[in-house]
Amino acid sequence: MSELAEKLAPQSSLAADDFSDLRENAQRALMQHGFPDLKTEAWKYTPIKLLEKREFQPAPASTSSLPELPFDGHVLHFDNGILNADETKLPDGIKLTPATREDFEGIAYGGREDAFAWLNLARFGQAWRIGIEGELDSPLVLAFTTSDDFAAAVHPRLFIDLADNARASLVETQSGGGEGMINAVTNIRVRQGAALDHVIQRGGGDTVRVARTRVDVVRDAEYRSYVLDTGARLGRQDLNVFLNEAGAVGEIDGTVVLDSRQHVDYHTSIEHCTGHTNSRESFRILADGTGVGVFNGRIHIHAEADDSHSDLNTANLLLGEMARINAKPELEIYSEDVTASHGATIGQLDDDALFYLRSRGLPTEEANRLLKYGFAAAPLEGLADETLRNWLLRELELVL
Amino acid sequence: MSQTTEQVQNYIQQRYKAGFYTDIESDRVPAGLNEDIIAMISAKKNEPEWLLEWRLKAFHQWQKMIGPNWAHLNLPAIDFQKIHYYAAPKQENRPKSLDEVDPKLLETFDKLGVPLHERERLAGVAVDAVFDSVSVGTTFQKELKEAGVIFCSFSEAVQEYPDLVREYLGSVVPHTDNYFAALNSAVFTDGSFVYIPKDTRCPMELSTYFRINARDTGQFERTLIVAEPGSHVSYLEGCTAPMRDENQLHAAVVELVAKERAHIKYSTVQNWYPGDENGKGGIYNFVTKRGDCREDDARITWTQVETGSAITWKYPSCILRGDRSSGEFYSVALTRNYQQADTGTKMIHLGKNTTSKIIAKGISAGHSNNSYRGLVRMAKRAENARNYTQCDSLLIGKQCGAHTFPYIESFNPSAKVEHEATTSRIGEDQLFYCRSRGLDEEDAVALIVDGFCKEVFKELPMEFAVEAKALLEISLEGAVG
Repeated sequence: MSELAEKLAPQSSLAADDFSDLRENAQRALMQHGFPDLKTEAWKYTPIKLLEKREFQPAPASTSSLPELPFDGHVLHFDNGILNADETKLPDGIKLTPATREDFEGIAYGGREDAFAWLNLARFGQAWRIGIEGELDSPLVLAFTTSDDFAAAVHPRLFIDLADNARASLVETQSGGGEGMINAVTNIRVRQGAALDHVIQRGGGDTVRVARTRVDVVRDAEYRSYVLDTGARLGRQDLNVFLNEAGAVGEIDGTVVLDSRQHVDYHTSIEHCTGHTNSRESFRILADGTGVGVFNGRIHIHAEADDSHSDLNTANLLLGEMARINAKPELEIYSEDVTASHGATIGQLDDDALFYLRSRGLPTEEANRLLKYGFAAAPLEGLADETLRNWLLRELELVL
Repeated sequence: MSQTTEQVQNYIQQRYKAGFYTDIESDRVPAGLNEDIIAMISAKKNEPEWLLEWRLKAFHQWQKMIGPNWAHLNLPAIDFQKIHYYAAPKQENRPKSLDEVDPKLLETFDKLGVPLHERERLAGVAVDAVFDSVSVGTTFQKELKEAGVIFCSFSEAVQEYPDLVREYLGSVVPHTDNYFAALNSAVFTDGSFVYIPKDTRCPMELSTYFRINARDTGQFERTLIVAEPGSHVSYLEGCTAPMRDENQLHAAVVELVAKERAHIKYSTVQNWYPGDENGKGGIYNFVTKRGDCREDDARITWTQVETGSAITWKYPSCILRGDRSSGEFYSVALTRNYQQADTGTKMIHLGKNTTSKIIAKGISAGHSNNSYRGLVRMAKRAENARNYTQCDSLLIGKQCGAHTFPYIESFNPSAKVEHEATTSRIGEDQLFYCRSRGLDEEDAVALIVDGFCKEVFKELPMEFAVEAKALLEISLEGAVG
């Protein structure tokens, strides 16, 4: 494992800038704890052997191209992990500035389970802060693309801040090839009365994707995320939503569709830090071929967080003979006047439904596809923005 | 509010009824854990060479291991060198029948309501009573022998049926299994051994009653039940300990082997001393229980009512190896004051068409923390395997915690797993309804909790169901606020 540390975080080459002390601390913590192994509870089902096998090169010279999006959006293009701010035109409501020390305040990570966050802190290039005010007329798009010769390890770092009463749709997409690694850390603040719809769409490729997103939601603010992940050679997303003040709402809906040689791990947590907060989560995985899907959803209701309500639901379809699904919906409740529930299932397509569709004249394949689509589309159908919803559903259709 | 305060007062004054101490001279080995102590225990029990070797192997393994730290427990460090690993009531010779057993001992079990004397045959349950490290007597030996059933203390089994013991000991829970199982394998003292021959239905319920009495000791018993093809047995287990300020360790291992079409029903009412209202004292209950449905159509049912122990770490599991074998787990875990429980089950589906069902009810009150931790694994070969899990938690009071950590792993595309869980406090409307019918708050809560746990209680043998219900009511007294 130390070889991996040496490869991803060689002792010698820390950037010297305003964040040097942060970087040094992070580097020390990383060296001290090391990378997670299968005994690390949070990484129990996700081995990172693939990273050990890969050799990482400096960023390639070639550039990757933006995927065509069927909607208008304000696009920030992270080409092979690097944002070229000069080429970006943004409306008045969006302010893109380099992040400052202030943005990093209060950031704390734990031990081995947070190794990739330490790695990001030690190695990030240019950290950006995106401030959003008012109501955005069209979505802000963070497009992460990689070229086929991309073999670097990059560590994007973003701070997204929605001002009071702002309203926005944020679309995060990731596409392209290459055997590199994108290890992103994003901190999102949804301030008083603001509302954010956060769409995460990723798929394909050999690139290793590790992402950690922390969302802080305050009084009467709402955060909703919609995930469509169509697989990766190795993908891991931590999505941690903190409901910090009364009236805060957090929702996570996601669909993961996996095929051969893919391993995707979603670890989500919703923290009810105070009372009068609401959350809901619905997550679905379809695993075919030799795909491995991992879902760990945690609801944590802190002490004194009375009148909190939470519901978590995960349904999974295991379709391939060699596929695997590991699901762990957790409840951790320290307050009495709450309701919390979760449900989890792993199963197959319903034979009766298949029979019905076939009796109506649909070929088996078509009937299968229709049932899979119906199952996988459900979490995405709550997305309010019709254009984005249709786009996601079409992307889903393409992989089924 | 004043009523609440009064209730809390009542609750605090509620004594742990099994908390008395029997003043009886005991013979024990010096404190500490090393090869000499293990050899001493083995010698005291006149064990064959292979068993001593097995113990030492386990001990060497244990020295290399570290304690589990993944559970949702605040686990204080345990000084294993301060514990006496063997304590037995002093007796000149081993009694040949219950009539020769020290009356003080019999009195102890009488006080606990355990029918040891044969004259209490009306109870119709065969009992093996384990006092600290040794079994003091087993009832109904004759009747059982007639049916071909072997039910005796583990030490006796080692002497009388060494081949059986050697064949099955450690075959379900190997000495390398986990930290506490390795410790138990090195120092286990007594326990029960049950063997049910082919196509035999055990004529009565079998029961073991465990009692920790001596100070600074731990109890490390080992139970082994083997059910040959087509047999059936129902086994009950109860436990108590005196009230003490210091913590005592209980690290047991239970192994069940169910062969073709055999059914083992294992029920536990665990009422070790839970510590006082400030969390002082109490038993640390670290138990490894596992059943192996070794052949086709075997069935194992675990039922547990857990109200005692300062800390409980316990996951009775089923390995569903045979095709069409089935495992069931029914549990009620109640924690109050500063008790901590991390308990649940593991259902490992290996065979085709295997089924399992898990019903777990957690009730937390006071400052306690109560976690359900369970694993359901559908292995590659487990065609059409099926699991249903339901775990519900009830919160009583503002300072307690209720947690659920279910692990679901599926490797087979024809297997089905369903899991559901809820956490809430007692419904205001239910309470209101009961109170409008004239029940006071405490009775109303008891009624609602009883209903909450009903699915589990109905799985208990009748004698235990009554005891469990009473135990729960006592434990709940004054917990309403």
